[in-house]
Amino acid sequence: MMSFDRPQEDVWGPRRARIIAGMLAVVFIVIVGRSAYVAFNGPEQAASGAHAAVAATRRADIVDRKGELLATTVPGWSLAANPSAIWDAGEIASELKSVLPKLDLIGLTAQLSDRKRQFVWVQRGLTQEEKDAVFGLGVEGLQFVEEARRVYPRGKLAGHFLGYTNIDGEGLEGSELAFEKRLKAGGEPLMLTLDASVQFVLEEELERAFADFDMKGGAGVVVDTHSGAVRAVASWPAIDPNRRGDFSADVRANRALNSRFELGSIYKPLTVAAAMEAGVLTPQDRFDVSAPVKIGAALVKDPHPLPNAKSVTAGDILAHSSNIGTALIAQRLGVERQKDFLRSVHLLGGQSHEGPQTASPLTPEVWDATAMATVSYGHGISVSPLAFAMTYTAFGNGGNYVSPVFVEPVDGAQVEKSQVMSADTAAKVLGMLREVVTRGSGKNADAQGYEVAGKTGTAEKPGPDGYDPNKNITSFAAVFPASRPQFVVLVVLDEAQPRTGDQRTASYTAASIAGKVIARAAPLLDVRPVLTASKVEAASLRASEATTP
Amino acid sequence: MRKLTIIGGLIVVVLAVAVYRAKLGAEETQGEIDTLSAEASAIGKDIAVMKAEEAYLTRPERIGPIARQKLGLEQATPGQYTASEALSRRLGEERLTLPAPAAEDASPTSAPLKSPSTAAQSKEVKPQQ
Repeated sequence: MMSFDRPQEDVWGPRRARIIAGMLAVVFIVIVGRSAYVAFNGPEQAASGAHAAVAATRRADIVDRKGELLATTVPGWSLAANPSAIWDAGEIASELKSVLPKLDLIGLTAQLSDRKRQFVWVQRGLTQEEKDAVFGLGVEGLQFVEEARRVYPRGKLAGHFLGYTNIDGEGLEGSELAFEKRLKAGGEPLMLTLDASVQFVLEEELERAFADFDMKGGAGVVVDTHSGAVRAVASWPAIDPNRRGDFSADVRANRALNSRFELGSIYKPLTVAAAMEAGVLTPQDRFDVSAPVKIGAALVKDPHPLPNAKSVTAGDILAHSSNIGTALIAQRLGVERQKDFLRSVHLLGGQSHEGPQTASPLTPEVWDATAMATVSYGHGISVSPLAFAMTYTAFGNGGNYVSPVFVEPVDGAQVEKSQVMSADTAAKVLGMLREVVTRGSGKNADAQGYEVAGKTGTAEKPGPDGYDPNKNITSFAAVFPASRPQFVVLVVLDEAQPRTGDQRTASYTAASIAGKVIARAAPLLDVRPVLTASKVEAASLRASEATTP
Repeated sequence: MRKLTIIGGLIVVVLAVAVYRAKLGAEETQGEIDTLSAEASAIGKDIAVMKAEEAYLTRPERIGPIARQKLGLEQATPGQYTASEALSRRLGEERLTLPAPAAEDASPTSAPLKSPSTAAQSKEVKPQQ
């Protein structure tokens, strides 16, 4: 009889089984727990990440200081083709050419004939009319591709300053280029310091100037004297960034920022301020300007004799814009102190700010006595209108020069200021500038109630054969209101010739335009006109400026 | 042990169903999210277009002539600005030309107000000085 030996009892077998069962149970519990978590919670974070990625792709809008839309991105359409699905490339190219006249027929036919390719662009940035016209053709092998399109709904308004982007939405000019990184990041709109209403006034007055004057170009700037916030900056002729291709290079040039002009006599107050600051001039000092003077190689003359020319003050020199008097003041000042002062107000370069940059200045190669004399009344030195406008902020800001600011919010604590003259000097020169308007060459700029203080400038344009007496740059630089300065306005006209037969000096051209700009822009900038003789009422009107939001 | 196996098997089946439903639900939710995202994107684009249209239609060169022609609006001239003190004085002068309130109107403000027609009938009152 067979007998089976009972296997020897493995005392460790059940224990191993329990240990393995226990481990499997732990794994099971982990899987069950995780499954339950996934079942009840779901992958929320992945979804929010996808949203963020989509939102970041839209280029940020550009708005003015009040939120008025200046540039935005809207859906647009581009036309593409699949050559492998096209049988008769020549016929389709001809049909497309009939509705899209800008197409290159030969090039397009060649592209559509390459049947190895499955995608070629036909035309990007179609208008709605063009899209409808192509759709109406009913041609196979074409497709519309939705692409973001940058538009400037206010047309020409601030066209130069806004700049534009290429078809791929990359900034190429102006603010679009200067703030490329910020705009490309998307999100909240970029809020500029510009005020669309003031910008419109400035541009319209420059446009109207063309009705009164035959002129080659113009520029204008309105700046807050205390913060440096640029409220308007215009170049004439204006451009519409939506149709930038329609304008010549000359029109596309931003004359306010990127062009350099010899601005003439609007430099004279700077010379007076520098001399007073250096302690070589007082408002009571008298000069004989009855005859031309020779300084270095320059024979300095006045185009018109001054009243009481044998004994005039600095105030008279500014009021009647005497070259002789200014050159005599510069002679007291000297070359080095003149250069130091112009350097301090960034007219010799070195200005930096966030936003579109300005053209660097052109200064005399040899700064000798001749250059000193001519620079004192604004010849031989060329700067951009914006760079020059900033120098007048010192007259309205207790002697502090402020750098231009283009982006809101403007934080008063972070405004870049530098004391370039004492408050006393600033106040005295401002008083002289007010006299220029009340009794001197700037009468046409006197906007009623706004206490305009300013200076005219008429400079002959330099040409290949020297200065041309028949071509002028006329300018007017103003600070207003004189009793409580708040804004600087600069108007520059290139070869303005009155159609009425008046003289082509700044008194008749730039000054009148600046006056009109101030009269219209001041209410928009919450500046109250003060006409009353009552001190109480005047104080009340002025106080209401501060309470206006 | 057998019971434990059966219970474990049931749990696995239940969990398999639950995970399947969760996955299905997640897909459905994702679909809804995609639909809503597309809708939001489309609405966002519409808003962008409408804002652009609004900005285009409210251009000063368009609004200005309309405001002048249809509403007779003009830019305020410096003479139209005045201080509050001057305003109250002017208002006082203009009141002189209006019919003055009746004698009882000069009494405390608790007196009942008169209707314009009633005030116009009181012709014999003296102007307020």
